[in-house]
Amino acid sequence: MNQSDQNEFVNSIQSKFQNSSVEFDTLKIEVDSHSWVDTHKTLKAEFNLKFFNWLSAVDWDNDVKIGDAPKEPVTPSFEIISCLSTTNSDDLVISSTKISKEDPQIDSLVEVFGGANWHEREAYEMFGINFLNHPNLKKLYLPDAYEGNPLLKSFELISREVKPWPGDVDVEGMPEDNIVVSEEGS
Amino acid sequence: MAQTMDPNNMPILSEASVSVEIETEDMTLNIGPQHPSTHGVLRLVAKINGEKISSVEPVLGYMHRGYEKLAEVRTYPQVTTLVNRIDWVSGFANEIPFIAGAEKLMEIEVPERAQYIRLILTEMARISSHFVFNGAFPLEIGALTPIFLAMEDRERVLDLLESVTGGRFHPNFNRIGGVKPAAGAGPTTKKDIQDLPAGFYHDTKVAMQKVLEAVDRFEDLIGGNEVFQIRTKNVGVLPKEVAEEYGVSGPILRASGVEFDLRKQSNYLPYDKFDFEIPIGENGDCFDRWSVRTSEMRESAKIILQAIDDMPSGPIQAKVPKVIKVPKGQTYVRAENPKGEMGYYIISEGGLGPYRLKIRTASFSNISILPIMLEGALLPDLIAIMGSLDFVLGDVDR
Repeated sequence: MNQSDQNEFVNSIQSKFQNSSVEFDTLKIEVDSHSWVDTHKTLKAEFNLKFFNWLSAVDWDNDVKIGDAPKEPVTPSFEIISCLSTTNSDDLVISSTKISKEDPQIDSLVEVFGGANWHEREAYEMFGINFLNHPNLKKLYLPDAYEGNPLLKSFELISREVKPWPGDVDVEGMPEDNIVVSEEGS
Repeated sequence: MAQTMDPNNMPILSEASVSVEIETEDMTLNIGPQHPSTHGVLRLVAKINGEKISSVEPVLGYMHRGYEKLAEVRTYPQVTTLVNRIDWVSGFANEIPFIAGAEKLMEIEVPERAQYIRLILTEMARISSHFVFNGAFPLEIGALTPIFLAMEDRERVLDLLESVTGGRFHPNFNRIGGVKPAAGAGPTTKKDIQDLPAGFYHDTKVAMQKVLEAVDRFEDLIGGNEVFQIRTKNVGVLPKEVAEEYGVSGPILRASGVEFDLRKQSNYLPYDKFDFEIPIGENGDCFDRWSVRTSEMRESAKIILQAIDDMPSGPIQAKVPKVIKVPKGQTYVRAENPKGEMGYYIISEGGLGPYRLKIRTASFSNISILPIMLEGALLPDLIAIMGSLDFVLGDVDR
């Protein structure tokens, strides 16, 4: 792929969306949750991003039951992330919006991209986010009677509670100051 | 009985059926979760009207293992073991985008030789995945012979994969910054490092010639089979606009006439150094999907033969810290896997493991079009359509 084409695409996105950044070759735009659907309509119509790649969410929280907590304090919120791309180049755009945790709801993208259907159902069961105007918002993977939203940071892994994972020992036994650069090829 | 059948008084059946309209009710047919054609445990709830399918609802989750949650409680090197098991038919290829993403966040430059080894083994994984398809797809629609040939031929490729990585299905061979010294390479010291087992180049050349022969044979045996053609041509036609809207990728998208292959468009591995073609289809039917995959095997064998001849020397591992800590950052890295686009969106907060790992798998999006493709199709075509999508349930449910 041509480098100048890529820059041209990034520039055109950045001139349209103020809140955008390129981090580690990934172009990400941040939009208001009210313009979530309109943003995707614009990206589809004006930037030829017709390929619906994926949609998911992130639970930003300082109180993490299992795993690593963020190093710097974050504002508790849900971040909805979608990825759109093209089918003639490597161009892709990550769109992101933040919604509150008290009343997690956002408009569904199904009317713009039919492929959002299953992705939104997954985010609904894993995070408890309510997608408004979704045609069939029910659990995708989990049994109907399942309680809780597994990908929330407040959700504990029961198996870990019962039996600590042996892999932890290796990691925690290593003091911080012991980090050395290994010999080449070792 | 014979006496009452007067040929002059026989009603003409075709005319009789036109004049009579019978009220029918849709029947609900449950297929799976344990059904040989579902490649695992997919369940379909189909509403059928006679032989016609009026609607289908796939029911997922029988293979859901929660890898996105499990990745949050593992360190980066440990996640590699998990991702092997997503699409188990091509385990090696699953590691590539994750490792490449972690390397991108750590800003590690991978040695060229390690990239070549990754590329060769990824293409071997693609060939072995397509061998399984070439055996399973004809089997599902009634041809028993190809699976025996395909499994035998695939074993040669798996033997090579095993000789390098030590694993046939779950290699767990990639390391952040390079690859592991090969399984058959003997004891490794810092000074004298052997990365590939003895005789690997020769064995690979022989095996790739066998692959090329096998592809010719499949094109003759399967593609030339009249019954196979009738079962697959103009069956399950997928327009490219629908495929794009639903995120359908890989050989299915290319069979619908879209020339999109991340091996050409992206730069996650040095594919630009090799001469190969992207097979595309015209009609987007089941036959094209078979034909695209089979032609891809030939191209993959060509890539491997070129890479063997062009193999650079040097280290197979970059300098990395002993404890892998990925700095804060977010990135999405994707790769062209045998089933389609696979990518990882890694959100790192500077810890030992990812804060959040979104796994984009090909089969999940690929089978999300099942309700659309199967609506109005005939029931016997359901098996052909599902088989031609070549999905793996581990790749759907994660």
